[in-house]
Amino acid sequence: MTKTQNIGTRLNISTNTLNKEDLPGDFALWIFIFAEMLAFGVLFVAYAFARAKDVAIFNESQLTLSLSSGVINTLVLITSSYFVVRGVSAIKHGSSKHCAYFLTGAFLLGGVFVCVKMWEFNAKFSAGITMSTNNFYMFYLSLTFFHFMHVLMGMVILGYIIIKSLRSGYSVQDYVGVETGASFWHMVDFLWIILFPLIYIIR
Amino acid sequence: MKYASQAVAKPYFIAAIALFLGQILFGLIMGLQYVVGDFLFPAIPFNVARMVHTNLLIVWLLFGFMGASYYLIPEESETELFSPKLAIITFWVFLVAGAITVLGYLMVPYASLAKWTGNDLLNTMGREFLEQPLPTKVGIVLVALSWLFNIVMTVLKGRKTAISMVLTLGMLGLAAFWLFSFYNPVNLVKDKFYWWWVVHLWVEGVWELILGAMLAFVLIKVTGVDREVIEKWLYVIITMTLVTGIIGTGHHYFYIGLPEYWLWWGSIFSALEPIPFLMMTIFAFNMVNKRRRDHPNKAAVIWALGTSVVAFLGAGLWGFLHTLAPVNYYTHGTQLTAAHGHLAFYGAYALVVLTMISYAMPILRGRAANSEKAQVMEMWSFWLMTVSMFVIALLLTGAGIVQVWLQRVSETPMGFMAVQDQLAIFYWAREAVGVVFLIGLLLYIWSFFVKDKSPVLA
Amino acid sequence: MMSDIQKTENKPNYFSTAIWLVLVALTIVSFCIGETGMQGQDVMLTLLAITMIKSQLVANYFMGLYKTKLLWRGIMFSYFVIVGGLIALAYLKGIP
Repeated sequence: MTKTQNIGTRLNISTNTLNKEDLPGDFALWIFIFAEMLAFGVLFVAYAFARAKDVAIFNESQLTLSLSSGVINTLVLITSSYFVVRGVSAIKHGSSKHCAYFLTGAFLLGGVFVCVKMWEFNAKFSAGITMSTNNFYMFYLSLTFFHFMHVLMGMVILGYIIIKSLRSGYSVQDYVGVETGASFWHMVDFLWIILFPLIYIIR
Repeated sequence: MKYASQAVAKPYFIAAIALFLGQILFGLIMGLQYVVGDFLFPAIPFNVARMVHTNLLIVWLLFGFMGASYYLIPEESETELFSPKLAIITFWVFLVAGAITVLGYLMVPYASLAKWTGNDLLNTMGREFLEQPLPTKVGIVLVALSWLFNIVMTVLKGRKTAISMVLTLGMLGLAAFWLFSFYNPVNLVKDKFYWWWVVHLWVEGVWELILGAMLAFVLIKVTGVDREVIEKWLYVIITMTLVTGIIGTGHHYFYIGLPEYWLWWGSIFSALEPIPFLMMTIFAFNMVNKRRRDHPNKAAVIWALGTSVVAFLGAGLWGFLHTLAPVNYYTHGTQLTAAHGHLAFYGAYALVVLTMISYAMPILRGRAANSEKAQVMEMWSFWLMTVSMFVIALLLTGAGIVQVWLQRVSETPMGFMAVQDQLAIFYWAREAVGVVFLIGLLLYIWSFFVKDKSPVLA
Repeated sequence: MMSDIQKTENKPNYFSTAIWLVLVALTIVSFCIGETGMQGQDVMLTLLAITMIKSQLVANYFMGLYKTKLLWRGIMFSYFVIVGGLIALAYLKGIP
């Protein structure tokens, strides 16, 4: 890198700091995102402290979880989040069609997540495991279920945006709706990224 | 007044204030009975006074909600009310049924009342807050359905706004959850489980939607801030309310025979219930700060801001105080609950109804706002009532802490009645402050009759 | 002009693709650690560190917070520091 380029980059950075963008999407949704993160955060911490009181049972029960379905779902969500990023990038350059395609990809991956999760729930329920079995399963079922509901809600939002963008409802000038839905979907991913190692791996 | 049919709100508001006065009088009777046990005995025993106090509260708030929605919905929908006549008939039916029920409580022994009103056919009576005889319970269903029908038909034929949607959803929930008052399983645990579906899901669920919609409406009117901005906040607030409030029902399920996971679910989700209330406070102040006009009705602005603050304190903070399972293990059903109940009901629901009345009543009487003299009087009544209710909550909190200590924590725990004797000083002080509250309320009522030659210009 | 637009269109995509690949790689690393069944303080802290990197990558580059005020990135970062820190604390307490 030459010296002039270096200065250019620096200047670029400084102008960037002067013109900081707002949060992507609707600010009201961000308040919701922060509140949701707080709710999950409290649940994560509660899990950790409940475990500290009963390490043996938590470690033993954790072994019965399907690590492979957990990792598949992690990869699925990360990839769908990536598709959402591409979808937002497409609409920023005015391509409603590409935006819809990428978001449809994300939506379908959401569907894969839901199927894998239902298979997992089914396996646990048919093994006679309920929320009253022990505290580990109580947290496992609660946390994954609440997260599951968020995936479903995220899919509803994505579905709405896909239909609207297929009808060219967004443009280079107006894509706040896409960014809002995208932010929600990334939050779902963000929370799962913490949930997965916490419940499935760390022992 | 933009639409002639909005006028049906007026009798509802007047009835609400009259019943509010009745509630406070019975509250004072009961407050005295805490320390002078045989006061007015046997004419009005404590259990009857309590029943009248709590039932009147619910009924006057319902009158307030109904009046508010008959005022608000035509304006939001930009059309006349579907049937003003039905609204007036409903008003009289509800008022007469309510009056007969209260007279029944006061004149007839409860057991006889139960026998005469067909409690054998469908056993629903004898449960806290759901004491109403069967005909009254059915009457409430009919009144709620007529109200809902009228509002839904109005919304359908007119403009559909976020505020009217949220309000209608809240009313729908109110009517739906009331149906659980008819379900009274023999198993006490099941009974309590569903009992909370009426009690909790009303006040910590669907009523909050009604509250949010009413507050948003008044804020749009008095601040002139863009509807879009206010509606967005409303959506976020009600979503948070439902997310935290529905599962938050679990905070009533501690140690009463329900599965252990409720200790976690109830604690965690109800601990988050203050968030929507905090958001409501920030929202209200933000909107007032960003106001595009200074509405002549300054009193209404104070009531609205007061609602958001006291609702947060009473419902949010005082609720949080004893919502975690390990804390509730000690505080369950003590005076702390009473402190929370008083400040939350006053802050969230009494104040929002008074906000709505304060905003709408001058317009219903043909002016944008009351004269300055009347408004100043109203503000005085706001401060008298709010401060005294806050002090009552503090006194009951003090009583609750002493009670928990003497009765449940101490090495040598005392019996319930012995502890109550120790709390007499708190109860006397509460009664005195209660009188101040009554003075505030009387001042409020008086402000309606103030005649001033120089009305404020619209 | 056209080439400028082309450039801005492609650049973030390469970048986000790279981020995506890093996230996939880190997920697989976590998975392998899980498969071996390793446990203990170091493993726990390693896994939390990986989780921290992943969560911040999502927040900064997928959510796009790197373009926003320090406040928002600060919230996301301190969220993880607080939640992750408390989790670590609870685990250290639980290890015999």
